[in-house]
Amino acid sequence: MIRHKIVTGSELILILIIVLYCIIVAVVNPAFWGFETLFDIIRSSSTAIIVALGLLVVMLSGGIDVSFMSIALFGSYTAAYMMITYKIDSLPFAFVVATLIGIILGMINALLVNWLKLPAFIITLGTQNFFHGVMTTFISDKTYGAGVIPESLSRFGSSTIFKVNTEMGVMGLTTSAIPVFLLICLTWFILYRTSIGRGVVALGNSEESAIRSGFDPLKIRLFAYGYIGALAGIMGVIYIAQVNAVYPNKLVGDELMIIAGAVIGGTKITGGSGKILGVVLGILIIYLLNNTLIFLGLSSSWNKLFIGTLLVISVAVTSFQARVKNRKNLIFTE
Amino acid sequence: MKEKIMTLIQRERNLYILISVTILTAILFAFIFGNSMYSARNLQSMAYQIPEFGFIALAMMLSFMIGGIDLSVVANANTAGIFAALILTGVWLPGLNESNAIIAAVLVAMGASILFGFFNGWMVAKLSAPPLIATLGTMILYSGIGMALTGGKGVTGLPSSFTSFGTAELWGVPLIFVIFVLVAVILSVILNRMTFGRKIYLYGGNRIAARFSAINNERMAIAIFVVIGILAGIAGLIIISRVNSAKVGYGDAYLLQSLLVCVIGGIHPDGGRGRAAGVVCAVILMQMLSSAFTILQFSPYARKLIWGFMLIFVMGLNYLSERRAQKIRVDLLRKRTPQAD
Repeated sequence: MIRHKIVTGSELILILIIVLYCIIVAVVNPAFWGFETLFDIIRSSSTAIIVALGLLVVMLSGGIDVSFMSIALFGSYTAAYMMITYKIDSLPFAFVVATLIGIILGMINALLVNWLKLPAFIITLGTQNFFHGVMTTFISDKTYGAGVIPESLSRFGSSTIFKVNTEMGVMGLTTSAIPVFLLICLTWFILYRTSIGRGVVALGNSEESAIRSGFDPLKIRLFAYGYIGALAGIMGVIYIAQVNAVYPNKLVGDELMIIAGAVIGGTKITGGSGKILGVVLGILIIYLLNNTLIFLGLSSSWNKLFIGTLLVISVAVTSFQARVKNRKNLIFTE
Repeated sequence: MKEKIMTLIQRERNLYILISVTILTAILFAFIFGNSMYSARNLQSMAYQIPEFGFIALAMMLSFMIGGIDLSVVANANTAGIFAALILTGVWLPGLNESNAIIAAVLVAMGASILFGFFNGWMVAKLSAPPLIATLGTMILYSGIGMALTGGKGVTGLPSSFTSFGTAELWGVPLIFVIFVLVAVILSVILNRMTFGRKIYLYGGNRIAARFSAINNERMAIAIFVVIGILAGIAGLIIISRVNSAKVGYGDAYLLQSLLVCVIGGIHPDGGRGRAAGVVCAVILMQMLSSAFTILQFSPYARKLIWGFMLIFVMGLNYLSERRAQKIRVDLLRKRTPQAD
């Protein structure tokens, strides 16, 4: 039996980068060191980690999805819109509606990818715009502010698991850390302990061999894209609860940063390889940079430069390693 | 003679379908919109809008032809434009007189674009990075450079002698439109009539076969991405001369539209197929539709809906027509070969 190591080399490097960066920032600006920063990063990255888990599943299956933010917006906006118009004030209702819409839209992606046999990137870029256009044209394109948001949503967004007294006042760990933790466990269980999860990895490694070992690519794609849709719906509801407002144009456009996080975390775009820990670390690095560059005296306009550099280096290193390995075995992929 | 024409039409079937659809749309719009579409003013404004988008679409076409998507085209154009604007407004290299500043700005912008393109090509050629993910990284990196330089604010106040380039006319036709047509023709000749062009098709069609047919794959990838960089640089210069300023985020909507134009123009995303003429035709079709949406006062959201739907719809149509063509080929083969039973 092959023993899987929990922490591999590339993840160790990511952890090292995070630790080194934290030490540098803490030396330059001691204000960094505290529960505020930690809780702030957990709060802002919690939504991103949820969709990144779904993205991991899709990328493991050899596809890619750039429409998940559009799906998240569609699901959560529709749920909130229904709650406001029909005066339904229930948190489970929001999650159920958003998740169902997410699953349906995700499965549309899966059908198109399976049917057209074209790069998933182009297909989902089309559906990204299509979904967003359908929502804003046929449902509503109004913004709903803090006053009209159902109370159950805003209470969930500002609730905390426990509180800590700091110099800045009382700080709490956001409740959204609980769904993040549960979904990490669920994704791990699906990927490593169920047949469909192994099918996802098999499909990503080689479609032909997956078919020959009895997996149905359509079913696996329906699952993978439906899963990211469901997670996107959940994420959308948490997002509007956190910002305590519903905008018709937020989220869409942020998907590339999540993909960047997944790739920095070692997920391969060619499919079949990627790990939950890596993806979580990749997203954490991005949000660490987003939230703490200010402690180094750099404005937020430097974020993209740092993230871009990190992503380019990470892509360069992983593809070069694969190339050297392939050349040694006389495998020519290009 | 008739047979010759028929085979020619058969071979270029998709291109002729596209041309007829474009002409039909043009006639249809003449009936629906009449003067508001074909007034001299609207025609001229369309001719001004086509080039900047056209260059980005041609760049995207080349990346499609080799079976990869270059996401960094728009970011490349944008950042090159910011470099040029910083020189033109005297933030960089102050003390140059106006004509020297323009020369320096054009040189620096084109140099930066070529360097950006070369870096993409180097990652694909020497590190075997998948183009999609390599250019996702450089897209964030290049626009990050522009963002760090400007802080997200616009660089405004370009000298009028530079912006007059964007509004210059040659016999009533915008100069930038003439340049676009010229570049498209040159690109088409390279693709169809020159060794380099044939090699692009071969490399795009099957890289492994190309490698073992004495085509230098690494040099090909770098050369193509450098050409993409040149096209992006021209687009960047045209954008800033038309808008009279440079800002991170200009032209972001062109990413979806350029993919759409390539798909409509018959460039297969898996590489190795397609013609520049198809893309030019699709650019004109898109511009007509875009003008119609402006006349109809569609919201940006409705446009998103239509572009997104069209992208999927056209890919679906391509898939169906390809399957039909394949079935006809199989039937022909069956008829020719005697059955075994």
